Amino acid sequence: MAQGNNSIKKILIVAFSLCIVCSVIVSTAAVALRPMQQLNQELDRKTNILNVARLYEPGMDVEEAFREQIVARVVELESGDYTDEFDPDTFDGFDAARDPATGRTLSGGRDIAGLSRVENYATVYLVGDEDDPEQIVVPIRGQGLWGLMRGFLAVEGDGNTIVSITYYEHSETPGLGAEVNNPRWQAQWEGKEIYDEEGNLTPAIHLTKGGASGEHEVDALSGATLTSNGVTNMLQFWLSEEGFGPYLAKFRSGTEPEDAEDTETDFEDVEGA
Amino acid sequence: MADVNAKGVLTAPIFKNNPIALQILGICSALAVTTSMSVSLVMALAVIFVTAFSNLFVSLIRNHIPSSIRIIVQMTIIASLVIVVDQILKAYAYEMSKQLSVFVGLIITNCIVMGRAEGFAMTNTPGMSFLDGVGNGIGYGFVLMVVGFFRELLGAGSVFGFTILPTVQDGGWYVPNGLLLLPPSAFFIIGLMIWVIRAVNPEQVEDNEFKMKQNTKPQEAV
Amino acid sequence: MGIQRTLENLEPHFHKGGKYEKFYPLFEAVDTIFYSPPSVAKTTAHVRDGIDLKRIMITVWLCTFPAMLFGMWNAGWQANVAIDAGYASMGGWREAIMMTLASGHDANSLWANFVLGATYFLPIYLVTFVVGGFWEVLFAIKRGHEVNEGFFVTSVLFALVLPSTIPLWQVALGITFGVVIGKEIFGGTGKNFLNPALTGRAFLYFAYPAQISGDAVWVAADGYTGATALSIAFQDGMSALTNTFTWWDAFLGFIPGSVGEVSTLAIFIGAAVLLWTRIASWRIMLGVFLGMVVTSTLFNLLGSETNPMFAMPWYWHLVIGGFAFGMVFMATDPVSASMTNQGRLVFGALIGVMTVLIRVVNPAFPEGIMLAILFANLFAPLIDHFFVQANIKRRIKRTGVPAEETA
Repeated sequence: MAQGNNSIKKILIVAFSLCIVCSVIVSTAAVALRPMQQLNQELDRKTNILNVARLYEPGMDVEEAFREQIVARVVELESGDYTDEFDPDTFDGFDAARDPATGRTLSGGRDIAGLSRVENYATVYLVGDEDDPEQIVVPIRGQGLWGLMRGFLAVEGDGNTIVSITYYEHSETPGLGAEVNNPRWQAQWEGKEIYDEEGNLTPAIHLTKGGASGEHEVDALSGATLTSNGVTNMLQFWLSEEGFGPYLAKFRSGTEPEDAEDTETDFEDVEGA
Repeated sequence: MADVNAKGVLTAPIFKNNPIALQILGICSALAVTTSMSVSLVMALAVIFVTAFSNLFVSLIRNHIPSSIRIIVQMTIIASLVIVVDQILKAYAYEMSKQLSVFVGLIITNCIVMGRAEGFAMTNTPGMSFLDGVGNGIGYGFVLMVVGFFRELLGAGSVFGFTILPTVQDGGWYVPNGLLLLPPSAFFIIGLMIWVIRAVNPEQVEDNEFKMKQNTKPQEAV
Repeated sequence: MGIQRTLENLEPHFHKGGKYEKFYPLFEAVDTIFYSPPSVAKTTAHVRDGIDLKRIMITVWLCTFPAMLFGMWNAGWQANVAIDAGYASMGGWREAIMMTLASGHDANSLWANFVLGATYFLPIYLVTFVVGGFWEVLFAIKRGHEVNEGFFVTSVLFALVLPSTIPLWQVALGITFGVVIGKEIFGGTGKNFLNPALTGRAFLYFAYPAQISGDAVWVAADGYTGATALSIAFQDGMSALTNTFTWWDAFLGFIPGSVGEVSTLAIFIGAAVLLWTRIASWRIMLGVFLGMVVTSTLFNLLGSETNPMFAMPWYWHLVIGGFAFGMVFMATDPVSASMTNQGRLVFGALIGVMTVLIRVVNPAFPEGIMLAILFANLFAPLIDHFFVQANIKRRIKRTGVPAEETA
């Protein structure tokens, strides 16, 4: 090593120029690639939504399919009506839950999905005609065995019949709980019904061990009791009064959810409908 | 490092001086990313890229690096390269980067990269250093691919995502081995690999730190 | 004396330079089963004792018999009761043997239950023995040492901790892993730091959880789900457990579970012999027991609204799951346990504490004794180290001179 390398001056020069060069490279890469990355994230979300609605085919143009077939709306969960307060493209339920203005704390027995906080508004994705959708895709999340599971549930336009379920983020045991994303297991959900009778807001759908029968039962994941319980619990939560119950009730009874202008609609009215 | 020739520098790290199997470096990421072959491949490419270029750059400026801050200088170069790789993956291979998650970022802490920069690039020409980086990256990648092969084949019944053994969950006959989907299984596979490699190349076996006394022949007391 | 003459005639072939030199370990194994080894102490300078490694291992092996015999009966009984209740039997060749020997699934017939249980357990044991024995002999030949009798114990323990319905190919894989990874790669019996039988079981537990845990695997009747006592308590709470089984059911062993672990009474019979012959360390057993009692009492006092396992008292912990079996046969394995006397107490206590901790707090694994023992195995050398060092320090204090280094 050259003699002069260890002088203070040289050290400072080397350190300084290295910092400049490296930071230029790193920030160039970050800035130049940012739009592409966001596009990817968007694309990923859209693919998941199309996937759960059974509209996704490998190689399709996700952007275009999404634009043509799917409308995103933000729903006020308590009333079950749409709201225009938030932009559905940027609204994030997970963040909203933590914000005191848009979320609330769940306590004890009501918090069956293990969320501790839940948002008051949520984004739903409508497939087909906005006013009379073929399918409604709702986000769900809850504790599995090892951590939070996040996914989508697609329901038919009647607000009761399930199309499919998918999880895009979870940390369940590979080969056991992670089988939630096995297509063969997911296929069982098709045609199952969430609620057992008209007007009832308590979901009847659940996983059951060995030999599911009837329209409200789905086979549990074999060897993954706790993941299965987690799935049941999060469906019970998100489809109940606390979640999308009031919203889906409108489709079940045939009255469409009101648009933002009429947010006065009372919760009680909805239930009576 | 008496005789540094291009071919030796490139190929030695694959079998004779494998960074994982002989030097036992970079085990952590080998556990985490080897559940499937395609992920292993991307990780291997990322590491090859980072080791090669960090070696190149360190070697280029090796005569100007003050020895008192040389580790930080190497670290900065490596970190910058890793961030660039991470950003590129996020932009062009989003699915992959989702599966690799933090482990691309953790290449920074991979001892192989740092070890080659400090141990080789600081004293050799840029060309050789580059080849050395590529060679060590390949050596790392080779182990990753082998581990990934066994884990994916026996754990999920497929290779590169193509089903070889149809699993019971998908209606086939193969009962997948769940252990191989869990990170610790990579320890077993790497261990068995080291066993095989050392059986083939006995000169890699370390000297005993101590020697156990041979079983003594039973003798009659007199 | 036909056998002796035959063996003696054959012997030269197996010695150095003989035709079958490589197979000496096999010859030696057969030879010493029939006759005492050629090298025994004869003069007064030695403490003479009839016991050697082989005798120890065979005693342990015999001690598992009460648990094994009862387990076979229970496996058959559980299945026959289920079949009586209308579930289909598993069919196949087992059914054929069953029909020939016992002509029906009569849950009241001791013989029918025993035969059915045996058609499940004996193949498991046979596969364990043949496959494990193969590896044992292979390594013995390759390394040129004798086949070790420790394998007798490993194989029977491994077979006893499996559910009766486990597929036989998994048995083969499990014992392979246990013997090769758990023992042979470290140099064979005496050099392994993990209990090979448990290593094999742990492998199966993580590799094929669907066939070794859950509710459907314990009773050999098609489609029947009989949860183990532990998982009933784990999922539905203590009252559900006490409604399903009485404590005496669990103590005597009329519950579903792995073949050898169900009857605490049968295991204690074996334990009595092991303790009386001083083969197993009473300190380890005591340590495990105390560790379990203290931890479970602690959880009882703490209490929890959401986790019913907190409420399980120690006398239930003792009789359900594999606790008794692990305490008596697995924890006391002389190779992988601590070697110092105080160390054994600590080692045992660690197992007891960990077992209850895993059973109660871990969300995924209802049973904890297997992982607890493997965990404690890892700590055994460290525990010993501390006690040996303490001993050395004490001696220096007393005499002022450091003890001479001895191997």
